[in-house]
Amino acid sequence: MRIQTSEDLDSIRKRGLQKIQPGRPRIGVGTSSCGIAVGGIALYNRMHKIIQMKNLDISLVKTGCIGFCKEEPIVSVNIPGKALVLLRKVQEDDAERIISLALEGDVPSDLVLCKISDWDHITGNLVYGNGFDTIPEYGEIPFFAHQKKVILRDSGLINPEDIDEYIGIGGYSAAYQALTSMEPDTIIDEVKKSGLRGRGGAGFPAGLKWEITKKAPGEEKYIVCNADEGDPGAYMNRNEMESDPHMLLEGMLIGAFAMGVHEGLIYIRAEYPLAIERLMLALDQARTYGLLGKNIFNTGFDCDIRIATGAGAFVCGESTALAASIEGKTGRPRLRPPRLTEKGVFGKPTDLNNVETWCNVPVIIAKGALWYSSIGAKGNTGTKVFSLVGKVDNIGMVEVPLGTSLHSIIYDIGNGGAQGKEVKAVQTGGPSGGCIPVRLFDTPVDFESLNQVGTMMGSGGLVVMDEDTNMVDIARYFINFASGESCGKCVPCREGLKHMLLILNRIIAGKGTREDLDLLRELADTVQKTSLCGLGQTAPNPVLTTMQYFKEEYDALISSEA
Amino acid sequence: MSLFGSMNRMVTITINKNQYLAEEGEIFLLTAMRLNIDIPHLCYEKALEPYGACRLCMVDLVTCGKTTMTPACTIKVHNGLEILTDTPQIIKHRNLLFELYLAEAPKSEVIREMAAKYGVKKTRFLKKIVHEDPLLGKCILCGLCVRVCTEIMGTCAINFINRGPYTVINTPFFEQNPDCAGCAACAQVCPTKAIVFEDRDAERVMQSWSGTTVPLATCSSCKKSFAPEKLMHKVLDKLDPAIIEEIKSLCPECRRQHITRKVIRKVPKS
Amino acid sequence: MDEKTLDGIIEKYPYPAGRTLGILREIQLQERHIPMDTLKLVSVKLEVPLSELFALVTFYSFFSLKPVGEHLITVCMGTPCHVKGAEKILETLQGHLGLSGDTQDGKYLQTTPDNLFTVEIARCFGACSMAPVLHVDGDLHGYVTPERIPDILEIYGWKR
Repeated sequence: MRIQTSEDLDSIRKRGLQKIQPGRPRIGVGTSSCGIAVGGIALYNRMHKIIQMKNLDISLVKTGCIGFCKEEPIVSVNIPGKALVLLRKVQEDDAERIISLALEGDVPSDLVLCKISDWDHITGNLVYGNGFDTIPEYGEIPFFAHQKKVILRDSGLINPEDIDEYIGIGGYSAAYQALTSMEPDTIIDEVKKSGLRGRGGAGFPAGLKWEITKKAPGEEKYIVCNADEGDPGAYMNRNEMESDPHMLLEGMLIGAFAMGVHEGLIYIRAEYPLAIERLMLALDQARTYGLLGKNIFNTGFDCDIRIATGAGAFVCGESTALAASIEGKTGRPRLRPPRLTEKGVFGKPTDLNNVETWCNVPVIIAKGALWYSSIGAKGNTGTKVFSLVGKVDNIGMVEVPLGTSLHSIIYDIGNGGAQGKEVKAVQTGGPSGGCIPVRLFDTPVDFESLNQVGTMMGSGGLVVMDEDTNMVDIARYFINFASGESCGKCVPCREGLKHMLLILNRIIAGKGTREDLDLLRELADTVQKTSLCGLGQTAPNPVLTTMQYFKEEYDALISSEA
Repeated sequence: MSLFGSMNRMVTITINKNQYLAEEGEIFLLTAMRLNIDIPHLCYEKALEPYGACRLCMVDLVTCGKTTMTPACTIKVHNGLEILTDTPQIIKHRNLLFELYLAEAPKSEVIREMAAKYGVKKTRFLKKIVHEDPLLGKCILCGLCVRVCTEIMGTCAINFINRGPYTVINTPFFEQNPDCAGCAACAQVCPTKAIVFEDRDAERVMQSWSGTTVPLATCSSCKKSFAPEKLMHKVLDKLDPAIIEEIKSLCPECRRQHITRKVIRKVPKS
Repeated sequence: MDEKTLDGIIEKYPYPAGRTLGILREIQLQERHIPMDTLKLVSVKLEVPLSELFALVTFYSFFSLKPVGEHLITVCMGTPCHVKGAEKILETLQGHLGLSGDTQDGKYLQTTPDNLFTVEIARCFGACSMAPVLHVDGDLHGYVTPERIPDILEIYGWKR
């Protein structure tokens, strides 16, 4: 059926809620890439087989990722009228007893992580119920307690392969509101007022970019979602798409309407097969409901969104390289200006935003700019999702208001170093970012503060290093990465990074000299200042920050030889 | 319209604190060249869009007292434009880029002479080991050959292969490429003279491009081989069919003679 | 790849945006590499110069021109795995299988002479909590140590 009126949307919403709370036990298995990697699918299949064979009255669904990677595979069990319980580190062999206990209205106590009595989906509220008095509430678990879930509000709780569940918790109501009762300019104003800044790393005001695209001359234009997450150690966008694909589509639909654009593209890495699969499915479902295609919500507005796959090139995160890649060319950045908003995909004005930027849009429309801008800090509103990885105890995806300190993320949420080791530094911003030492952990995570300490927000990877990590080796790792990902167009990046790597290899092998250190610094400066695009301009950051904050580690390698 | 026909408006610009008149909209690199202000460059060619890859022409663009390093080939002249071409910063970075080029193309005399002109006589970086390089250790990947082949000739016989420090230019699969017309525009435009080809009897061998061999047309009059057949057809296709019939088998020299004779016959006797 | 299969893939991409890379991606997934003949056929069918397609498949790391062996081992080299010793894992694998760490074209893909194993590297497949990790034919092995590698290889027919 096609959804055209608010009554249509309401009826699907009721159906979706019925699926989330079906009046019989519901078991959800975390099956995002991370869950699958540790056995989620095998677990799901085992449960499915048991339920089918015994013809049991249990609803079994795949859910996305709740973010606590360390505890995966995570399984949620919801007994009607009782709190939803999250089980941790569930093995295939646990399937049988989880199912039989669920039928008795119970859960295996040895696997319990926490319970959720009610949940704020922001676009809707779900009350699960009480019970399980001895099990701690979700908010009592330190890993969750310090987080604020806006983007991840549905992750791990709904079935990402079923549009009804997304609509069930209020999905597409913001799009309905925007398309049927808001002027395009009012939507842009709202996004501007919310203070939303680009989540791809640079932090450009999203509403302003929308306005520029809208005003650019020309009938044919594109909106593009950058889902080419290339940072080695960042996987937020993948989980967002795998866990809640419709949130992205809804954001893009609202944006398309506001800018008067009829064609959307999602540029996604070929290395994300599950995200591609779930997005394809989501697109089909949205088309079936008439949420994409012609005459959406009977407003006369047409819009479709399609997928374009990348093929493994970090440099395609650069906007002009990304546009070239969509056109079927090699991703070599071109000179700017003209910017994409003027001359983008196939030479048409193009608005390019990161996955997470688009994902913020539905809640901004649903709850208003005022509500949104009350989250986070001044000039840095909203939340940001980070992948907290490396040598930290609680590995996972975390979402916090912008302006939260690194200390809070790494110690309150991450519980400090793994295996009781001392944390030494954290790397933010991937290969474009830098390493921040412990003594600067009071730094609030916002676009400007991170720049001030020599790193950047980037797309959101936080890699924790401990006392055993050699910082020179980390610098070499990132230069090796950046050099391998350089497109090779301009000489500072192509040759400069190669020679930085050679020098670092020499230093690590104990064959470096004082002159090597000076040359490394000199070269880093030139690569930063003279490279054509952002990749080269930021690639020296890991070297520059480690030389600044961990100079003694470089010196130790030099003096050991001399 | 001005006295100079289609020429744009003349505006005042400042280069290294001196004022000059310049044509509005012109690419600054060309303006500077015309004014004999020296800016090294390797990847710019008038017939092509600015590419901005060699980074040697970077100058300081002054706006509101702040300077930004920008390639001169990407700056368009406008009234009040202020440029510094030889600040210590510019010189420092440029010299280091020369060192990188010296290591990348150790066999290139052009690079060696250019670098020496700016006082860079040696490189502190490990020089590339040149071993069986079809481009003789002289290629600096400015991409002019690829761009001319694709954008001007419309042939697209050669292209970049791999990426980053592994980038090379050659034909697909490093095989002879039947798409190549043998026009040798690539060799013509190459700033470091890295591309080699040879005319042997009735063939042109593009040695740098995996030995791609194209037949040369032989003049029906003097029997000399003159131009690659494919290229000749490409050019002839643009002419009046009647003229094509008359000259298609002639080399440029015999063609000239043929046309001259025809013209003389047509001149009325006075 | 035969012409009919290729036509079937091409048909799925009627729109220009994302077309070329989408088609190449499907060829890579089906054949586990990009065969030379197929690329030449794509050039004819899409009317894209071969040199441009060759530039694409050598530029993007998702594509490979070399066929892979019976078992494909993918070692994760993402930052979280790196800080937990992925490099040692790769070196140990290379040692056991007699493979070199060199690359001619910037892509790491090495196959044993008996064609039993191909080793490649990848950036983060999202099992960071089990770092360092590797895949063999899609099966995940976590908390890998250099000492455990022979045991893993033996599952796939390797002999000590």
